[in-house]
Amino acid sequence: MQLANIQGEKMEIAYYPGCTLKTNAKEFEESTIEAFKKLGIELKELNKWYCCGTVYSLATDNLMYRLAAIRNLIKVKEEGYDKVVTLCSICYNTLKQANLMAQQDEEAMYKINSFMDEEPDYHGEVEVLHPLEILKGMEEKIKENVVKPLNKKYAVYYGCLLLRPKEVAIDEYENPSVMEKLVEMLGGSVVNFPFKNECCGAYNVVSDREAVVERCYRIVGNARKNGADAIVTSCPLCHFNLSEMQKEIKKTDFVGLPIYYFSQLMVEAFGGRKCKEK
Amino acid sequence: MYPKEMEKSIRKVEATREERLHKLPERMSEKERQEVLQKWHPDYKPEAKRKLKIGVSKGSIVPHEVADLIEAYPLIKPEEIDLSQVDYDVDVLIIGGGGAGTAAALFAYYNGIKPENILIATKLRHGDANTMMAQGGIQAADKENDSPIIHYLDVIGGGHFANKPELVAKLVMDAPSIIKWHEELGIMYDKKEDGEMITIHGGGTSRKRMHSAKDYTGMEIMRVLRDEARNIGIPVLEFSPAIELLQDDDGKVAGALLYNLETEQYYVAKAKATILATGGFGRLHIQGFPTTNHYGATFDGAVMAYRLGARLRDMDSVQYHPTGVAYPEQIVGLLVTEKVRSLGAQPVNADGEQFVHPLEARDVEAAALIRECYGRKKGVVTPTGMQGIWLDSPMIDIIHGEGTIEKRLGAMFRMFNRFGIDMREEPILVFPTLHYQNGGIEIDAEARVLGKNNVIQGLFAAGEVEGGVHGKNRLMGNSLLDTQVFGKIAGINSAKYAKKAKIGKLSLKHVNRYIEELRKAKIKEERKAPIIFPDYRGEQVLSRAIDIL
Amino acid sequence: MQRKMKMVRIYIMGKEYRVPEGLTIMKAMEYAGYRYIRGAGCRAGFCGACATVYRKEGDYKLYADLACQTTVEDGMYLVQLPFTPANKAIYDLEKIKADDKTLVNFYPEIARCVSCNTCTKACPQELDVMDYIQASLRGDIAKAAELSFDCIQCGLCALRCPAEIVHYHVAQLARRLYGKYLAPKAKHLEKRVKEIEEGKFDAELKKMMKKSIEELRKMYNARDIEPEEEMPTESD
Repeated sequence: MQLANIQGEKMEIAYYPGCTLKTNAKEFEESTIEAFKKLGIELKELNKWYCCGTVYSLATDNLMYRLAAIRNLIKVKEEGYDKVVTLCSICYNTLKQANLMAQQDEEAMYKINSFMDEEPDYHGEVEVLHPLEILKGMEEKIKENVVKPLNKKYAVYYGCLLLRPKEVAIDEYENPSVMEKLVEMLGGSVVNFPFKNECCGAYNVVSDREAVVERCYRIVGNARKNGADAIVTSCPLCHFNLSEMQKEIKKTDFVGLPIYYFSQLMVEAFGGRKCKEK
Repeated sequence: MYPKEMEKSIRKVEATREERLHKLPERMSEKERQEVLQKWHPDYKPEAKRKLKIGVSKGSIVPHEVADLIEAYPLIKPEEIDLSQVDYDVDVLIIGGGGAGTAAALFAYYNGIKPENILIATKLRHGDANTMMAQGGIQAADKENDSPIIHYLDVIGGGHFANKPELVAKLVMDAPSIIKWHEELGIMYDKKEDGEMITIHGGGTSRKRMHSAKDYTGMEIMRVLRDEARNIGIPVLEFSPAIELLQDDDGKVAGALLYNLETEQYYVAKAKATILATGGFGRLHIQGFPTTNHYGATFDGAVMAYRLGARLRDMDSVQYHPTGVAYPEQIVGLLVTEKVRSLGAQPVNADGEQFVHPLEARDVEAAALIRECYGRKKGVVTPTGMQGIWLDSPMIDIIHGEGTIEKRLGAMFRMFNRFGIDMREEPILVFPTLHYQNGGIEIDAEARVLGKNNVIQGLFAAGEVEGGVHGKNRLMGNSLLDTQVFGKIAGINSAKYAKKAKIGKLSLKHVNRYIEELRKAKIKEERKAPIIFPDYRGEQVLSRAIDIL
Repeated sequence: MQRKMKMVRIYIMGKEYRVPEGLTIMKAMEYAGYRYIRGAGCRAGFCGACATVYRKEGDYKLYADLACQTTVEDGMYLVQLPFTPANKAIYDLEKIKADDKTLVNFYPEIARCVSCNTCTKACPQELDVMDYIQASLRGDIAKAAELSFDCIQCGLCALRCPAEIVHYHVAQLARRLYGKYLAPKAKHLEKRVKEIEEGKFDAELKKMMKKSIEELRKMYNARDIEPEEEMPTESD
């Protein structure tokens, strides 16, 4: 993406939180806002925003389930922004996919725009961003701000929703490296971690908890085997599954690992609060 | 959105506004108050009233509309009703599903009556009541500079010293604990950031003790009480008004005969204790006035209780709220809450002149408005010939800052806005409207209904149906309080009573006796009561021109 | 006074009637001969009994409003809703907490909201209904309470919602949680209740109750009245 307008100077960008960031992942929100402030970027929460539509919008072709995502993008435009950042991987994925539809599928957008006749028409004018995309272009600024370099080894875990489908991927979808680079800029080292794109089990935690516990065992176990002191992630659902399901692993050979959001590492390296386990 | 002629008058109101912001007319002296009431208050017109011909309060003077219902025949023929088939058998029957009835139900439950042994029977839906419409607030002396004693004096003085002291004492002493109970139930009173209640004056108050929840105070109280009753599981029979009370063979009240308005069936509801919480009489349109009241306010409870021997008091006095809507036509008579004046809007005449302090007691204020229109001919005339006085609402935002009207008078703002009038920009036109039944059936401090020389066993009353609390004139914010305080007392005492009471054979003998009395007094069988609803079909619905002079 | 009335045509449940222009829907139905049992309550826009839906000739939109607060228009097809079937969650307010999950736990169906905004369009009070449901979903009880405060519980939102949410019950719970747990407590109130319980005013009240009307009248006319002006900096 084009970052010319945010290089160096202080800037404001629309921030779409999503419900999880206001409930289970408050520490993700707080640390991201704090870290970005250090980098001169103010994340301004939208005055009006709605649940993104979550899995429903991804699991069906019913246009009704795209209304929420499109309405959010309209709010971004209405409130005078042309870019919106969202932290949660699911929100990112739904908003980004809906935006692609808005740009490409005229017939669908005709229906949606006429259904939402109380709102201005929308055709994909807004750009949907994940914070990691913004950080890609800010190498210098990040390094400048590191005052307490991290000195641990981290396994970097992306999960799926930032990379699939490939049209919405924030990085090389087969072999992403943006978070690894970030960790290294912050002074940490990165271990080899073949499970970095594995699915954490996602919403199956509701219907088939055992299967998710099993996945957690394999993912966390592999990170530890490869020498990691902690796992870094960017997704609230992955964070939940990896940290909560660890507690239910009964195998005696298992030793757990702390799970952090990348933004918490940034805050720590920038001299703020040290990462604590939730 | 006002017609041209009215706009011209508004220009005059605007011209005097700046000057008026800094001065208020003097409050009237005792003598001036008496004068304006005598000459201009509708209550002081002897030809609008007559003496009751029968019953316990025979000889009392009441409005014709009330006498017409007292001197009316029952809807049923007692001998045609089969009382051996009991449809509901409960400990406490509550007639009326408004604020008083629901508070009574909750307190009966708190005092040991199981939910399934309580029954609320109501003619409309649970919560369709004047409580729901009380906008301005509820009084309670809970601030440092105030006390129940000061509240007591305000109530007695406002009521022209006709109140029953022991009832006023209950009202003012229980008020703070009622607000506290509400707070615990989650009622959202307007508060400052530190939790201090935001309180303002009402007409006739000497301290700012009006608590409110925006201008939806009654609605907020009602919907929370109703929600709580639903959580507890108190049964409610909707669209089933009582049409007669029942007695047992030794004269105790023993429930009521209910009428299902939809299936047109009678239900026999037997109860150890019965609470009347049926509200007042606004829909009788005393002297042809429009009213602020809800659709079911037709005096039913008092009619039934009177047949059974309950005493009436203070029925000669009727409360006309000084500010009912006078324009637009669609909403004529609806309430413009006193809070509008409490927040600084002044009544001014067609020439933009002040003529009365905005916060005189209600009867005095109403009389002054009528005098201004019909005595001094300074009223504003609407296209339909209705007279009115400007209430200079834009002053509110000037005094308290932009946005105050929308925030604190949302209901008022919305109502006028629906008909194209923006009360932030232009004044609103008002005229007195029939608001409240000051008197009613007499109770004692235990909320027990009183007969000729004694307590009527098994019958309790709370809220507008009862009399004595407010004397001859109720102050703003004391009616919501009345429903809650006496609802609570009736709930507690009915529970106590019900635990001991034994009911014998059910009877409607008192109705037969009443019919005989009617016949003896040579009252023709042309009227029946209770009327349950007013009849507005056809031309009757068109708003009536009030015949003041 | 008698005036010449212009008449308009309305269709009550499909049947044509001629009624005077300028009446509310409620009064027009009465003019047409209906005597309400259901469908009328306060007649002033507070109770929600007279929820009405209507279409106008040549307009695809389905409008929703209160019969007592809406003026009839020529060519209006209307029907009143006698009742809204809806499940209310049962709770003991003393035993529940005001946390992120309370609302969604009692009303899990709010997660079905697709942000179609039909509820907001149906609301006769013009509240941001969808916004308070969304606030409830993310656990923002204070916001849900504030946005829903003017709700009259007429049920139109719930009947129009494709996700089958019962908005007004969710809002009722949000407001009670806010009022009980999140709003600051009034300390002066607690103090006064305690003073009354301890009998602080009993003796003086007894004296007042024994006073003659003349004595009371004197006191009343001489009482000092707290000045009118309000502090302009209120924080409600």
